[in-house]
Amino acid sequence: MTARTATHGTFTLERVYDVAPARVFKAWADSAIKARWFVGPSDWHLLERTIDFRVGGTERLSGRKGSGIVSTFDAVYHDIVPEQRIIYCYDMRLDQTHISASLATVVLTPIGAGTRLTFTEQAVFLDGYDDSGGRERGTRILLEQLGGELQR
Amino acid sequence: MTERSVTHATFTLERSYDAPPSKVFKAFADPALKRRWFAEGEGWEVDEFTGEFKIGGFERSRFRFKGGTLIRNDTTYHDIVPNERIVFAYTMTIGENRISASLATCEFKTSGTGTQLVFTEQGAFLDGLDSVGPREGGWKELLDALGRALK
Repeated sequence: MTARTATHGTFTLERVYDVAPARVFKAWADSAIKARWFVGPSDWHLLERTIDFRVGGTERLSGRKGSGIVSTFDAVYHDIVPEQRIIYCYDMRLDQTHISASLATVVLTPIGAGTRLTFTEQAVFLDGYDDSGGRERGTRILLEQLGGELQR
Repeated sequence: MTERSVTHATFTLERSYDAPPSKVFKAFADPALKRRWFAEGEGWEVDEFTGEFKIGGFERSRFRFKGGTLIRNDTTYHDIVPNERIVFAYTMTIGENRISASLATCEFKTSGTGTQLVFTEQGAFLDGLDSVGPREGGWKELLDALGRALK
């Protein structure tokens, strides 16, 4: 029997990108652009991707890791302010195990000709899943991949 | 134009109820029971309360206080472990303004013949329209109302 536990945590990351908020926002809002940077590592294979970017809309990204484990990201959009803010809640599953639920806030602020992106995640990790900072490291990598996309 | 801002905050409330976890859980899971302590109350008018208590299910409530502005609660259920845990996300909207988005965890723990409920909310409060103090106060009142409903 699974020991039921819930461990809460929060982290914030900031990045400055050299492009205007409109362009950073579009990289989240446009499914074709997001598909280029919102991806797993090189040994990860896409299984399913759907995005319905609107308040109340859902997103799914599922892929098989090199280890054979299937990770699934399921999100619901809660708040969208064009070029300024995106708030969504998402679940992560490894195979069939629900490991976490999170509230993610993306805030875009103009800074000179560029954009400061502030990403805040408020998470609950379930049933003893040991994150050990993995979520923050993974998000850091995603924001670097976003930076790469914005330099295209 | 609205000045946009986000303030993040977390709070935890604990309550002991003289009822077993199955009964406390049911007060969240059964829409008719939940409506009584969650939506109804003196001065409150409930325009709508519809729910689908399952993982991925949505719950909508629409209410107003003494004929005031329409308040909307839109909830999504993320995790349900019968008699043990519920994780849900919700947004609150007053009129046309979304004032918050939150992730809430309810843990139901056996304590003697009763239940210890641990409620944790991780919230994002928007555009200066809401903040953690009133939200925590609101949940204190709700958990007290739940206690009365369990008697």
